[in-house]
Amino acid sequence: MNDQMTGSNEFKLNQGPDDSISAVKFSPNSSQFLLVSSWDATVRLYDVGGNSMRMKYQHMAPVLDCAFYDPTHAWSGGLDHQLKMHDLNTDQDTVVGAHDAPIRCVEYCQEVNVMITGSWDSSVRLWDPRTPCNAGTFTQPDKVYTLSVAGDRLIVGTAGRRVLVWDLRNMGYVQQRRESSLKYQTRCIRAFPNKQGYVLSSIEGRVAVEYLDPSLEVQKKKYAFKCHRLKENGLEQVYPVNAISFHSIHNTFATGGSDGFVNIWDPFNKKRLCQFHRYPTSIASLAFSCDGSLLAIASSYMQELGDISHPPDAVYIRQVTDAETKPKST
Amino acid sequence: MADGEVDWELCKENIQPLRRGRAISALHQALTQQQEGTTSAINQQKQAYELELRMYDGDDPLDVWDRYIKWIEQTYPQGGKDSGLAVLLERAVMKFTEEKKYHNDFRYVDLWIKFTENCSDPLDVYRYMQAQGIGTMQASFYIAWAEEYEKRGNSRMADSTFQEGFKCGAEPVDRLQQFHKALQARVCRQMMTSLNDQETDDELSEPQRGSLTELKAKGKKKAVAPINRVTGNLGYARGLQFKQPLGPSQNSRLLIYDENKEHPEPQEPKLECWPAPPIAKPKENEQRPDKWTNAKLPQKSRFGHTVVAPPPKPTFQPFVEESDQPPVVTPCKINPAVNTILSARKPHREEQTPLKRLQERQQHMQLQQEEEDKSGEKSMYCKELLNSGVTEFTFEELRAERYRQKCSQRLEANS
Repeated sequence: MNDQMTGSNEFKLNQGPDDSISAVKFSPNSSQFLLVSSWDATVRLYDVGGNSMRMKYQHMAPVLDCAFYDPTHAWSGGLDHQLKMHDLNTDQDTVVGAHDAPIRCVEYCQEVNVMITGSWDSSVRLWDPRTPCNAGTFTQPDKVYTLSVAGDRLIVGTAGRRVLVWDLRNMGYVQQRRESSLKYQTRCIRAFPNKQGYVLSSIEGRVAVEYLDPSLEVQKKKYAFKCHRLKENGLEQVYPVNAISFHSIHNTFATGGSDGFVNIWDPFNKKRLCQFHRYPTSIASLAFSCDGSLLAIASSYMQELGDISHPPDAVYIRQVTDAETKPKST
Repeated sequence: MADGEVDWELCKENIQPLRRGRAISALHQALTQQQEGTTSAINQQKQAYELELRMYDGDDPLDVWDRYIKWIEQTYPQGGKDSGLAVLLERAVMKFTEEKKYHNDFRYVDLWIKFTENCSDPLDVYRYMQAQGIGTMQASFYIAWAEEYEKRGNSRMADSTFQEGFKCGAEPVDRLQQFHKALQARVCRQMMTSLNDQETDDELSEPQRGSLTELKAKGKKKAVAPINRVTGNLGYARGLQFKQPLGPSQNSRLLIYDENKEHPEPQEPKLECWPAPPIAKPKENEQRPDKWTNAKLPQKSRFGHTVVAPPPKPTFQPFVEESDQPPVVTPCKINPAVNTILSARKPHREEQTPLKRLQERQQHMQLQQEEEDKSGEKSMYCKELLNSGVTEFTFEELRAERYRQKCSQRLEANS
């Protein structure tokens, strides 16, 4: 398939961050704008079509995640514990609140109209984006490593390989408590756009496809598979799978690993649709645009093997075709 | 202060005793924090220790472990799984088995002793330590080992353990002597007690009572009824059942326990090369999930006697659970912060004793490199670093700590 580097369908973003990239997120209604948060303590807004940086704002410390609330508001949090809202029209900062420890993830739930943050202080906090103010703190059993929104449900992945499913309309109790079906640390969880399940990736080259419906027939469909492993001299090198992003239309998903590869998977036929060329270093974050025509790929060393020298960090924008992202009809 | 004392009184049943006792201030703090439910301060401190374990860059890595474990003991007076102490001790002990310089460090030996007290087979572990040369120069090692023997009523082995300690020149000697004397005193007292209970007359090798007759005194002393006593309560406990001597004339016959005379060759704890790990003990009371329809519950009938209900035949095809079925919990309205306490205990998977794991790890370490070269997998991240300690870390957390350290260094340089 499309296994070679073609160059014509891919380009590198200019004016990239000065340090590692922590997250890339596309605007909810246009594939023109991309948010990029970084360890250089900035969040940048890019005009993808024009390949230029439109705006940049600062945190006091490295930023670990960012998200769009609407096309004109960006939210972000990081090591300074602060949650910031930035008006992209007026370039105005608002500190909305704070956690007791670094904020690891920021997400938006459209159905309930609430911003969600997860932190290493073992809590998830909800934020009303209109006021903006805190709308509740919910204790998790351990440090929050990743979270994802499926309709009005929230899937939280914590340390100790725990997965919790919350009902965002009724946060009085945990809807489901699960244990990751993978043996090693949870790296990333992303929900299916059809809200039926989620994909979970682990630190040791494995991805699990799980369903939210607890009934037995549905649970029987869950599975896991190995990926992001390279054979070298008969020795299998197993890499962390750091990033997952779903194609909003086809319900297929891309995974990115510390091996520098990006794979696109068809979860229904259990097939790999394609693999792109190897990027210079670890894939730290992935994001499909809202219409599924573009894939933003953050290639950025994450100090998985310590603070050592590494290839430069960069964001690549790749045009993807239906052939690469659409499930093969049988 | 008055409040604090009440706190302590109210929960003293739950406080685990420590060898070195507890700092009352730490105990107060821990208990008040638990009452108020402010665990975030504890968690932050724990996180800080966990980070220090991983980021430590000096030449005495044991120091962090030692402080962390002492802090845990003081902060979690109830002990238990929440504290993670058992896991931490095992990790700490295993981490430095290769470090010869720590083998006779009193802190390391202390950790071993604490670890051993959590094990089901302490004697094996002490033997293992001896074979590895861990703590063989430390008085505390022999004291703990001898105590373990004494607990089992084997004061002879306890004594020879002390002898072994003297022979090896364990430090500090006076402490070893002090404990040795205490042991001898206890043994003497026990001997005395059991001797007093015994019929001292040698002619009667088989003391007996005539059945259905009056108790007649036999032997020289008129007051004592011959009672058949087993000599086996020698060394039963530490002289707690000390009894009044029955007559002054007995003193002449009292035997003084002298280990050198009685046992000219005290049995040394055997130095084995430890070829095979001890067999894992079979677990008791292990219930496995079973088919409910097979279970029979005795039921009381109306007439008061017990009948056994016939197993109800299901009219439907029961679902067979798959082994990898995820536990799906019914929603229930309780505080999510506390409802982990009453969760069902998972079936215990590992049928390994800590010691066995220890040995396996050692063998594994040797084989690991070869295996990796053969056909194994290699994790392409700092696995050791993420998983040392009790809780797991992500590389982002380690990186955040590096960033924080750099910042504080910069601040120091500027000021």
